[in-house]
Amino acid sequence: MKLTFKPSPNYRTSQSTTGIMFDLTVCLLAVTVFAVAYYSAVYGASYGLRIVILEASAVITACIVDAIWAKIQKVDVKTGILSSYSWITAMILTLMCQIDVNPYALCVATVIALVFGKMVFGGFGQNIFNPAAFGAAVIMSSFAATKSTDFVTAATPTITAANYGWMMNAETFASYITQYGGLGKMLLGWYPSSIGSTSALLLALCCAFLIWRKDIDWRIPVIYIGSVFLMTTIIGLIKGAGVWYGIFNVLAGGVMFGGVFMLTDPVTNPVPIPGRVIFAIGCAALTVIIRLKANFPDGVLFSILLMNMMTPAIDKIFDGNQIKNAVQFRNKTILISAILAVIGIAVGATVEAKIPEAAPAEAPAVEGALGGIDFSANNVEVTEVSRDGNNAVYSCSADGFGIINGMGADYSRNEATITVDTSKGSVVSVVLDHFGDTAGIGDTATSDEALAAYTGLTLNDTVDTVSGATFTSGSVASMVQAALEAAAK
Amino acid sequence: MSFLTGPMHYHLEGHKELTAHKDVLILEEPDDVYVPLVNGRATCTPVVQPGDKVCVGTKLGEPVDHWYVPVFSPVSGTVVGVEKRMSAALKPAEHLHIRNDHKKTAVRAFEPFDHESATREEVLEFTKNAGMLGLGGAGFPTFMKYSKPENIDLFIINAVECEPYLTADYRNAMENPKLMREGALALLKLSTAPKGAIAVKEDKTDLIAVLKDAFAGTAIEVKTVPDIYPSGWERTLVYMLTGKRYDRLPAEAGCILNNVSTCIALGDAMLNGKPITHKFVTVSGDGVANPQNVYCPVGTPSGTLIQACGGYTAEDVLLIAGGPMMGRAIPNDIFVIGPANNGLTVLKHKEEKQVKCLRCGRCTETCPSGLQPVRINQYEKLKDLEALKTLDVMSCIECGTCTFICPSKLDVTEGVRRAKRYLQLQAKK
Repeated sequence: MKLTFKPSPNYRTSQSTTGIMFDLTVCLLAVTVFAVAYYSAVYGASYGLRIVILEASAVITACIVDAIWAKIQKVDVKTGILSSYSWITAMILTLMCQIDVNPYALCVATVIALVFGKMVFGGFGQNIFNPAAFGAAVIMSSFAATKSTDFVTAATPTITAANYGWMMNAETFASYITQYGGLGKMLLGWYPSSIGSTSALLLALCCAFLIWRKDIDWRIPVIYIGSVFLMTTIIGLIKGAGVWYGIFNVLAGGVMFGGVFMLTDPVTNPVPIPGRVIFAIGCAALTVIIRLKANFPDGVLFSILLMNMMTPAIDKIFDGNQIKNAVQFRNKTILISAILAVIGIAVGATVEAKIPEAAPAEAPAVEGALGGIDFSANNVEVTEVSRDGNNAVYSCSADGFGIINGMGADYSRNEATITVDTSKGSVVSVVLDHFGDTAGIGDTATSDEALAAYTGLTLNDTVDTVSGATFTSGSVASMVQAALEAAAK
Repeated sequence: MSFLTGPMHYHLEGHKELTAHKDVLILEEPDDVYVPLVNGRATCTPVVQPGDKVCVGTKLGEPVDHWYVPVFSPVSGTVVGVEKRMSAALKPAEHLHIRNDHKKTAVRAFEPFDHESATREEVLEFTKNAGMLGLGGAGFPTFMKYSKPENIDLFIINAVECEPYLTADYRNAMENPKLMREGALALLKLSTAPKGAIAVKEDKTDLIAVLKDAFAGTAIEVKTVPDIYPSGWERTLVYMLTGKRYDRLPAEAGCILNNVSTCIALGDAMLNGKPITHKFVTVSGDGVANPQNVYCPVGTPSGTLIQACGGYTAEDVLLIAGGPMMGRAIPNDIFVIGPANNGLTVLKHKEEKQVKCLRCGRCTETCPSGLQPVRINQYEKLKDLEALKTLDVMSCIECGTCTFICPSKLDVTEGVRRAKRYLQLQAKK
């Protein structure tokens, strides 16, 4: 018989940290399953498999890092892995990436996230930065060039919206949003985004589940997402964009995913509730500012990292008895929140709409047999340069994206030398002499491969436009059409 | 304000069904009782000699200072002498050993008393001489609390019993509403308050009905409070009933509080001339075979109560004097039931698997004192004196909510205790 002594209380809630992490794992798996379903259904099974491979490699890497860390710390490997919760970091990191991320880059980023984002601070509970955000920043800054070209999807809303400078009027938006099937489809999540941020609805359900299980503080996602919505709605109203603007800003990019899974990381957000309120509003303001004004397509990631740095300071200003200092704490919260909100709105409201490259809805249709397409918008000019037997050489020029859309002095007509076999009425070669459209976008339609595709083409064949560069494709096709027509005369 | 502070309380699983509706076991009195001569801060010197015959109600000890709580014999028998024994406060203390002759011969310690015809001063004097003390656990002498009441608007009877497992107050009140009424009305008179309130948890519907019936036509009404912990703590209770916070004493908020068992003990003293000789004690938890309430003499060793309830159910248990939240685990079962003990909780000992603090802040949200236990623990490790002062460590009442709520299973409350001791030590330097 043994009567043990332990300091009181000797009564504990059934909720455990491991239980919280288990709930998080379930939610992250649900998000993964949805992503696999979406990419498999729309782009094919290999895309779905790709997500599984990505996430598995990241989680395995995390477990290996934990195992090594456990060995260094001289604790049991299994205990080390199960009490360090690094697989959550790996899962979040995977879901923050686009599907074209290289598995090798993801694994390296996982190692860096865990070693430099977590373990150098002393391991779980001690880290300053959200390790997953840390790892995603590493991928963004160091591995942008390693993107796999085998997994190409349509452009994500953060990319396309950035092309518009994150601002457009209601009419432009109405045509813009059709490429994602409207705001309703965006809510359901049937459009490409980062792997985990697709379905706002599913993320909201995860959020509700985690709040119901008391795993996260409801204030953080609600205040963060609500603040992004309110700030962008106000900015939208100031700029005359309409009510859709706030909704779009919440649905697009990582706002929902970050709000549910990343801001709520208790290790890296402040402890006192007023601190968390300020943390959430600060993240919202920075998200809006970075998204609308900085060069990154989305601001969620860096807003979290920046506010993580503020966490110790926020903790400090709310040290004290919460009852005795209630009024003082409330006033501090209101004051700081108001300042952050005003900065977010004021800086965000300086956003200027841009006319984007390659707006798909406005590009001329390039469909059917080459001979039957109306290229009058391209103002093609063609002159015969020489003729050698059956081969006639034409010097051609045509308007491209820049001229048609009146983009100014940086743009000029595209010029090409086209050789035609007059006996067959087919293209022998297309050589681009001058490229007048946007480097990096339009030139995908003038790559060697794209131009080689014209070889052997007749007026009765159909041409394929290169996605994302439809204006330039059209410009080249118009010159080919003109050369073939000239040869037929 | 709870948007920015959190709820500052928590609903605990009470496990009260283990004992609440079972019949009270009248303990076969033990052969030896050890009456504590120290109750809270009140210390007595014996007025009997070894070998003296005593009856139930014989005065055994007279207080040495103004903390006046005389002690009376719970059994009839022979005084053996003064012994130092481990007390429920985890300190060795003096106890008067009495060998029980099981004859239960009783004397009236004092004459019954009619508070209605007496003056306030006479009631106060009676309360003092009857050895009344706060039976909710603190053991504060009742007459001291009522010596100079000023601007009291509300007299509160605390029948909340928010500690998990404990049902002794509930059983006592269910069985003795008449005594409670007498005691409560006397205390209302002492408090000078125009009205009184009995605070009961809203889920105890049968007790609410009994009390409403008993107090019909008096200035005392039954008020319900939610089933949360620590709704029975003075500050939380005063806040829930009046919406007021106070700095040091409830009197600042116009309130004066006493436990329901104190009212019953005073009623018993006035109607029957009986001092506090017996107690209702809840023996409960998964570590004891037959959890139930036991009616036993003051000075009964805890082991005797456990045996009466079928003994321990495991080889390794925690024996807790009181409820599991604020009661101490005592590594022996020779300590005795004092006047202010209401329960023994016996729990099977399970090692908790601790992981690192994830700074979730749940302790901050639920702390009824509005403290930030997680921050206090951080600064305690750093021994940062200034930060600990800023964090108002000394306001901690060690209610245990922070350890209870901690998902990482850390001993948060113990860290705050260390911080308190450190501050006290530094203050002495």
